[in-house]
Amino acid sequence: MKTYEVFLKRPGKDSFTHVGALEAPDDDLALSFARDCYARRSEGEQMWVVARTDLLVADPTELEMADREHRHNDGALLRDLRRAPDSPAS
Amino acid sequence: MSDVDPANVNGAHGLVLALADDELCIGQNLAWWIAVGPFLEEDLALTSISQDELGHARALYGLLGDDIDALAYGRQAHEYRCAHLTELPCRDWGQTLVRHFLYDTAETVRWEALAHSSWKALGAVARRALAEERSHLRHASGLLSRLLRTEAGRSRLLPLFDQFAPMACELFDVPTGCSDDALVAAGVMARALSDQLAEWQGTVDDALTDAGYRLQWPAVDRSGSAPLGRSGRRSPHFAALHAEMIEVLSIDPSATW
Repeated sequence: MKTYEVFLKRPGKDSFTHVGALEAPDDDLALSFARDCYARRSEGEQMWVVARTDLLVADPTELEMADREHRHNDGALLRDLRRAPDSPAS
Repeated sequence: MSDVDPANVNGAHGLVLALADDELCIGQNLAWWIAVGPFLEEDLALTSISQDELGHARALYGLLGDDIDALAYGRQAHEYRCAHLTELPCRDWGQTLVRHFLYDTAETVRWEALAHSSWKALGAVARRALAEERSHLRHASGLLSRLLRTEAGRSRLLPLFDQFAPMACELFDVPTGCSDDALVAAGVMARALSDQLAEWQGTVDDALTDAGYRLQWPAVDRSGSAPLGRSGRRSPHFAALHAEMIEVLSIDPSATW
Protein backbone atom coordinates (compact mmCIF):
# COMPACT_ATOMS: atom_id res chain seq x y z
CA MET A 1 0.00 0.00 0.00
CA LYS A 2 1.13 3.52 -0.78
CA THR A 3 0.23 6.67 1.10
CA TYR A 4 -1.48 9.47 -0.79
CA GLU A 5 -2.32 13.04 0.22
CA VAL A 6 -5.69 14.46 -0.80
CA PHE A 7 -6.48 18.09 -1.69
CA LEU A 8 -9.90 19.53 -2.44
CA LYS A 9 -11.01 22.78 -4.01
CA ARG A 10 -14.40 24.20 -3.28
CA PRO A 11 -16.25 26.26 -5.87
CA GLY A 12 -15.26 29.92 -6.07
CA LYS A 13 -11.99 31.60 -5.24
CA ASP A 14 -10.78 29.18 -2.56
CA SER A 15 -7.53 27.47 -3.39
CA PHE A 16 -6.87 23.75 -3.02
CA THR A 17 -6.71 22.73 0.63
CA HIS A 18 -5.16 19.63 2.12
CA VAL A 19 -7.92 17.51 3.63
CA GLY A 20 -6.12 14.33 4.68
CA ALA A 21 -4.31 11.22 3.60
CA LEU A 22 -5.18 7.65 2.68
CA GLU A 23 -3.58 4.36 1.79
CA ALA A 24 -4.23 2.58 -1.51
CA PRO A 25 -2.53 -0.11 -3.56
CA ASP A 26 -2.31 2.00 -6.74
CA ASP A 27 -3.12 5.39 -8.26
CA ASP A 28 -6.50 4.43 -9.67
CA LEU A 29 -7.74 2.99 -6.39
CA ALA A 30 -6.33 6.03 -4.61
CA LEU A 31 -8.65 8.22 -6.68
CA SER A 32 -11.52 5.87 -5.96
CA PHE A 33 -10.91 5.82 -2.21
CA ALA A 34 -10.31 9.57 -2.12
CA ARG A 35 -13.77 10.15 -3.52
CA ASP A 36 -15.37 7.87 -0.93
CA CYS A 37 -13.28 9.06 2.03
CA TYR A 38 -13.15 12.80 1.45
CA ALA A 39 -15.57 13.94 -1.25
CA ARG A 40 -18.74 11.88 -0.89
CA ARG A 41 -20.66 14.86 0.49
CA SER A 42 -19.71 17.34 -2.24
CA GLU A 43 -16.90 18.77 -0.12
CA GLY A 44 -15.15 19.91 -3.27
CA GLU A 45 -15.59 20.30 -7.00
CA GLN A 46 -11.98 19.48 -7.84
CA MET A 47 -9.62 17.02 -6.22
CA TRP A 48 -5.89 16.39 -6.33
CA VAL A 49 -4.48 13.12 -5.09
CA VAL A 50 -0.69 12.99 -4.76
CA ALA A 51 1.52 10.07 -3.79
CA ARG A 52 3.37 11.15 -0.67
CA THR A 53 6.65 9.99 -2.24
CA ASP A 54 6.11 12.57 -5.01
CA LEU A 55 5.99 15.47 -2.56
CA LEU A 56 9.08 17.65 -2.12
CA VAL A 57 9.64 17.79 1.61
CA ALA A 58 11.58 20.68 3.12
CA ASP A 59 14.17 20.26 5.81
CA PRO A 60 12.40 21.36 9.03
CA THR A 61 15.53 23.10 10.27
CA GLU A 62 15.16 25.54 7.39
CA LEU A 63 11.78 26.51 8.78
CA GLU A 64 12.93 27.35 12.30
CA MET A 65 12.26 31.07 12.46
CA ALA A 66 10.91 31.35 16.02
CA ASP A 67 14.04 33.16 17.21
CA ARG A 68 13.99 35.76 14.40
CA GLU A 69 12.15 38.54 16.18
CA HIS A 70 12.25 40.82 13.16
CA ARG A 71 10.14 38.26 11.27
CA HIS A 72 7.36 38.52 13.81
CA ASN A 73 6.29 42.15 13.67
CA ASP A 74 2.93 42.42 15.42
CA GLY A 75 2.89 46.22 15.28
CA ALA A 76 3.59 46.63 18.99
CA LEU A 77 6.78 48.66 18.51
CA LEU A 78 5.07 51.14 16.18
CA ARG A 79 2.03 51.30 18.47
CA ASP A 80 4.17 52.13 21.49
CA LEU A 81 6.05 54.79 19.52
CA ARG A 82 2.80 56.42 18.46
CA ARG A 83 1.51 56.44 22.01
CA ALA A 84 4.64 58.06 23.42
CA PRO A 85 3.76 61.67 24.50
CA ASP A 86 6.54 63.17 22.44
CA SER A 87 5.86 61.15 19.32
CA PRO A 88 5.34 63.19 16.15
CA ALA A 89 2.60 60.71 15.26
CA SER A 90 0.60 61.16 18.45
CA MET B 1 -45.76 9.35 -9.49
CA SER B 2 -44.61 9.78 -13.00
CA ASP B 3 -46.05 11.35 -16.10
CA VAL B 4 -45.70 8.74 -18.80
CA ASP B 5 -45.93 5.90 -16.34
CA PRO B 6 -47.19 3.28 -18.78
CA ALA B 7 -49.69 2.48 -16.05
CA ASN B 8 -48.14 -0.80 -15.29
CA VAL B 9 -48.83 -1.98 -18.81
CA ASN B 10 -46.75 -5.07 -19.39
CA GLY B 11 -45.69 -5.18 -15.76
CA ALA B 12 -43.40 -2.15 -15.75
CA HIS B 13 -44.18 -1.73 -12.06
CA GLY B 14 -43.15 -5.32 -11.38
CA LEU B 15 -39.83 -4.69 -13.10
CA VAL B 16 -39.14 -1.54 -11.09
CA LEU B 17 -40.14 -3.26 -7.87
CA ALA B 18 -37.70 -6.11 -8.55
CA LEU B 19 -34.86 -3.68 -9.24
CA ALA B 20 -35.70 -1.65 -6.14
CA ASP B 21 -35.72 -4.78 -3.97
CA ASP B 22 -32.29 -5.76 -5.36
CA GLU B 23 -30.92 -2.35 -4.40
CA LEU B 24 -32.47 -2.48 -0.95
CA CYS B 25 -30.93 -5.87 -0.13
CA ILE B 26 -27.52 -5.04 -1.60
CA GLY B 27 -27.45 -1.71 0.23
CA GLN B 28 -28.41 -3.33 3.52
CA ASN B 29 -25.83 -6.10 3.13
CA LEU B 30 -23.02 -3.69 2.18
CA ALA B 31 -23.83 -1.52 5.19
CA TRP B 32 -22.82 -4.46 7.38
CA TRP B 33 -19.19 -3.56 6.62
CA ILE B 34 -19.31 -0.31 8.52
CA ALA B 35 -16.46 -0.31 11.05
CA VAL B 36 -15.34 -3.85 10.14
CA GLY B 37 -13.91 -3.38 6.63
CA PRO B 38 -10.47 -4.88 5.97
CA PHE B 39 -8.92 -1.39 6.01
CA LEU B 40 -10.28 2.04 6.76
CA GLU B 41 -10.49 3.27 3.17
CA GLU B 42 -12.33 0.14 2.04
CA ASP B 43 -14.66 0.37 5.01
CA LEU B 44 -15.67 3.88 3.93
CA ALA B 45 -15.87 2.94 0.27
CA LEU B 46 -18.19 -0.03 0.80
CA THR B 47 -20.51 1.88 3.07
CA SER B 48 -20.52 4.88 0.77
CA ILE B 49 -21.54 2.56 -2.07
CA SER B 50 -24.14 1.07 0.26
CA GLN B 51 -25.70 4.50 0.67
CA ASP B 52 -25.72 4.95 -3.10
CA GLU B 53 -27.54 1.64 -3.57
CA LEU B 54 -30.08 2.50 -0.90
CA GLY B 55 -30.53 5.82 -2.67
CA HIS B 56 -31.32 3.93 -5.89
CA ALA B 57 -33.84 1.83 -3.98
CA ARG B 58 -35.53 4.94 -2.63
CA ALA B 59 -35.69 6.55 -6.06
CA LEU B 60 -37.19 3.39 -7.61
CA TYR B 61 -39.75 2.84 -4.82
CA GLY B 62 -40.62 6.51 -5.23
CA LEU B 63 -41.77 5.74 -8.78
CA LEU B 64 -44.29 3.26 -7.41
CA GLY B 65 -45.83 5.16 -4.53
CA ASP B 66 -45.45 7.91 -1.98
CA ASP B 67 -45.04 5.72 1.10
CA ILE B 68 -41.52 4.49 0.43
CA ASP B 69 -41.06 2.94 3.87
CA ALA B 70 -44.19 0.85 3.43
CA LEU B 71 -42.88 -0.42 0.10
CA ALA B 72 -39.38 -1.05 1.37
CA TYR B 73 -40.17 -2.57 4.74
CA GLY B 74 -43.85 -3.32 4.99
CA ARG B 75 -44.40 -6.22 2.62
CA GLN B 76 -44.64 -9.91 3.28
CA ALA B 77 -41.58 -11.95 2.30
CA HIS B 78 -43.27 -13.48 -0.74
CA GLU B 79 -44.09 -10.00 -2.06
CA TYR B 80 -40.42 -9.10 -2.50
CA ARG B 81 -38.85 -9.68 -5.93
CA CYS B 82 -35.10 -9.45 -5.22
CA ALA B 83 -32.64 -11.86 -6.81
CA HIS B 84 -31.21 -14.34 -4.32
CA LEU B 85 -27.68 -13.10 -4.95
CA THR B 86 -28.58 -9.82 -3.27
CA GLU B 87 -29.83 -11.60 -0.15
CA LEU B 88 -26.52 -13.39 0.53
CA PRO B 89 -24.86 -12.05 3.68
CA CYS B 90 -21.31 -12.25 2.18
CA ARG B 91 -19.56 -11.79 5.51
CA ASP B 92 -16.24 -12.72 3.88
CA TRP B 93 -14.74 -9.72 2.13
CA GLY B 94 -13.78 -11.76 -0.94
CA GLN B 95 -17.43 -12.76 -1.32
CA THR B 96 -18.49 -9.15 -0.98
CA LEU B 97 -15.99 -8.04 -3.62
CA VAL B 98 -17.02 -10.69 -6.17
CA ARG B 99 -20.71 -10.01 -5.65
CA HIS B 100 -20.06 -6.25 -5.81
CA PHE B 101 -18.36 -6.69 -9.18
CA LEU B 102 -21.07 -8.99 -10.57
CA TYR B 103 -23.88 -6.81 -9.28
CA ASP B 104 -22.50 -3.44 -10.37
CA THR B 105 -21.60 -4.69 -13.85
CA ALA B 106 -25.15 -6.04 -14.12
CA GLU B 107 -26.61 -2.80 -12.81
CA THR B 108 -24.69 -0.83 -15.41
CA VAL B 109 -26.16 -2.96 -18.20
CA ARG B 110 -29.70 -2.56 -16.95
CA TRP B 111 -29.46 1.17 -16.18
CA GLU B 112 -28.21 1.66 -19.74
CA ALA B 113 -31.24 -0.21 -21.02
CA LEU B 114 -33.50 2.10 -18.99
CA ALA B 115 -31.69 5.41 -19.54
CA HIS B 116 -34.05 6.46 -22.34
CA SER B 117 -37.16 4.74 -21.10
CA SER B 118 -40.58 5.82 -22.33
CA TRP B 119 -41.35 6.02 -18.61
CA LYS B 120 -39.59 9.39 -18.30
CA ALA B 121 -39.17 9.37 -14.52
CA LEU B 122 -37.59 5.92 -14.68
CA GLY B 123 -35.19 7.14 -17.38
CA ALA B 124 -34.14 10.03 -15.13
CA VAL B 125 -33.41 7.67 -12.22
CA ALA B 126 -31.39 5.44 -14.53
CA ARG B 127 -29.27 8.25 -15.95
CA ARG B 128 -28.44 9.58 -12.51
CA ALA B 129 -27.57 6.10 -11.25
CA LEU B 130 -25.28 5.48 -14.23
CA ALA B 131 -23.07 8.36 -13.15
CA GLU B 132 -22.61 6.68 -9.78
CA GLU B 133 -21.99 3.27 -11.31
CA ARG B 134 -18.81 4.54 -12.90
CA SER B 135 -17.22 5.06 -9.50
CA HIS B 136 -18.65 1.82 -8.12
CA LEU B 137 -17.14 -0.06 -11.04
CA ARG B 138 -13.80 1.65 -10.71
CA HIS B 139 -13.73 0.50 -7.10
CA ALA B 140 -14.75 -3.08 -7.85
CA SER B 141 -12.67 -3.54 -11.00
CA GLY B 142 -9.63 -1.83 -9.54
CA LEU B 143 -9.47 -4.14 -6.54
CA LEU B 144 -10.40 -7.21 -8.53
CA SER B 145 -7.90 -6.85 -11.37
CA ARG B 146 -5.16 -6.17 -8.86
CA LEU B 147 -6.01 -9.13 -6.65
CA LEU B 148 -6.37 -11.50 -9.62
CA ARG B 149 -2.71 -10.83 -10.38
CA THR B 150 -1.74 -12.56 -7.14
CA GLU B 151 -1.91 -16.29 -6.42
CA ALA B 152 -3.62 -15.70 -3.08
CA GLY B 153 -6.25 -13.54 -4.76
CA ARG B 154 -6.89 -16.03 -7.55
CA SER B 155 -7.25 -18.99 -5.22
CA ARG B 156 -9.77 -17.11 -3.10
CA LEU B 157 -11.72 -15.17 -5.71
CA LEU B 158 -11.99 -17.41 -8.78
CA PRO B 159 -13.97 -20.16 -6.97
CA LEU B 160 -16.34 -17.44 -5.81
CA PHE B 161 -16.95 -16.47 -9.43
CA ASP B 162 -17.84 -20.09 -10.17
CA GLN B 163 -20.26 -19.98 -7.26
CA PHE B 164 -21.84 -16.53 -7.67
CA ALA B 165 -21.82 -15.82 -11.41
CA PRO B 166 -24.46 -18.48 -12.23
CA MET B 167 -26.59 -17.14 -9.38
CA ALA B 168 -26.18 -13.60 -10.66
CA CYS B 169 -27.86 -14.53 -13.95
CA GLU B 170 -31.08 -14.34 -11.98
CA LEU B 171 -30.69 -10.55 -11.96
CA PHE B 172 -31.97 -10.71 -15.55
CA ASP B 173 -34.90 -13.03 -14.93
CA VAL B 174 -38.24 -11.65 -16.03
CA PRO B 175 -40.29 -10.85 -12.91
CA THR B 176 -43.58 -12.70 -12.61
CA GLY B 177 -46.29 -10.68 -14.29
CA CYS B 178 -43.91 -8.91 -16.67
CA SER B 179 -43.35 -9.56 -20.34
CA ASP B 180 -39.83 -9.07 -21.65
CA ASP B 181 -40.94 -8.44 -25.24
CA ALA B 182 -43.83 -6.18 -24.29
CA LEU B 183 -41.65 -4.00 -22.05
CA VAL B 184 -39.30 -3.47 -24.99
CA ALA B 185 -42.17 -2.86 -27.40
CA ALA B 186 -43.58 -0.21 -25.03
CA GLY B 187 -40.16 1.43 -24.84
CA VAL B 188 -39.85 0.92 -21.09
CA MET B 189 -36.57 -0.91 -21.72
CA ALA B 190 -34.36 -0.42 -24.76
CA ARG B 191 -33.33 -4.07 -24.73
CA ALA B 192 -34.86 -7.30 -23.53
CA LEU B 193 -33.61 -8.79 -20.28
CA SER B 194 -32.38 -11.82 -22.22
CA ASP B 195 -30.19 -9.53 -24.36
CA GLN B 196 -29.01 -7.68 -21.27
CA LEU B 197 -28.00 -11.01 -19.73
CA ALA B 198 -25.87 -11.87 -22.75
CA GLU B 199 -24.20 -8.46 -22.72
CA TRP B 200 -23.46 -8.70 -19.01
CA GLN B 201 -22.01 -12.22 -19.38
CA GLY B 202 -19.70 -10.82 -22.05
CA THR B 203 -18.50 -8.12 -19.64
CA VAL B 204 -17.79 -10.67 -16.92
CA ASP B 205 -16.07 -12.99 -19.40
CA ASP B 206 -13.84 -10.15 -20.61
CA ALA B 207 -12.78 -9.27 -17.07
CA LEU B 208 -11.91 -12.88 -16.31
CA THR B 209 -10.21 -13.48 -19.67
CA ASP B 210 -7.80 -10.72 -18.69
CA ALA B 211 -7.05 -12.85 -15.64
CA GLY B 212 -6.66 -15.99 -17.77
CA TYR B 213 -9.82 -17.63 -16.52
CA ARG B 214 -12.90 -18.98 -18.25
CA LEU B 215 -16.26 -19.26 -16.52
CA GLN B 216 -18.71 -22.04 -17.28
CA TRP B 217 -22.15 -20.47 -17.58
CA PRO B 218 -25.08 -22.76 -16.82
CA ALA B 219 -27.26 -23.57 -19.83
CA VAL B 220 -30.57 -22.41 -18.41
CA ASP B 221 -33.41 -21.04 -20.46
CA ARG B 222 -34.29 -17.88 -18.56
CA SER B 223 -36.91 -16.61 -20.95
CA GLY B 224 -39.81 -18.24 -19.14
CA SER B 225 -41.36 -17.38 -15.81
CA ALA B 226 -38.87 -16.65 -13.07
CA PRO B 227 -38.36 -19.67 -10.84
CA LEU B 228 -36.61 -17.93 -7.93
CA GLY B 229 -36.42 -14.49 -6.39
CA ARG B 230 -38.26 -12.70 -9.18
CA SER B 231 -41.32 -14.86 -8.59
CA GLY B 232 -41.44 -14.18 -4.85
CA ARG B 233 -39.51 -17.19 -3.58
CA ARG B 234 -37.12 -16.05 -0.89
CA SER B 235 -33.75 -17.58 -0.06
CA PRO B 236 -33.06 -18.76 3.51
CA HIS B 237 -31.08 -15.55 4.12
CA PHE B 238 -33.94 -13.17 3.52
CA ALA B 239 -35.71 -13.50 6.87
CA ALA B 240 -32.72 -12.37 8.94
CA LEU B 241 -31.90 -9.58 6.49
CA HIS B 242 -35.45 -8.26 6.56
CA ALA B 243 -35.68 -8.54 10.35
CA GLU B 244 -32.57 -6.38 10.62
CA MET B 245 -33.99 -3.79 8.23
CA ILE B 246 -37.22 -3.41 10.15
CA GLU B 247 -35.71 -3.64 13.62
CA VAL B 248 -36.46 -0.02 14.51
CA LEU B 249 -39.91 -0.05 12.92
CA SER B 250 -40.75 -3.19 14.88
CA ILE B 251 -39.96 -1.40 18.14
CA ASP B 252 -41.70 1.83 17.21
CA PRO B 253 -43.97 1.75 14.14
CA SER B 254 -44.33 5.55 14.28
CA ALA B 255 -40.57 6.16 14.17
CA THR B 256 -39.39 8.70 11.61
CA TRP B 257 -35.90 9.65 10.50
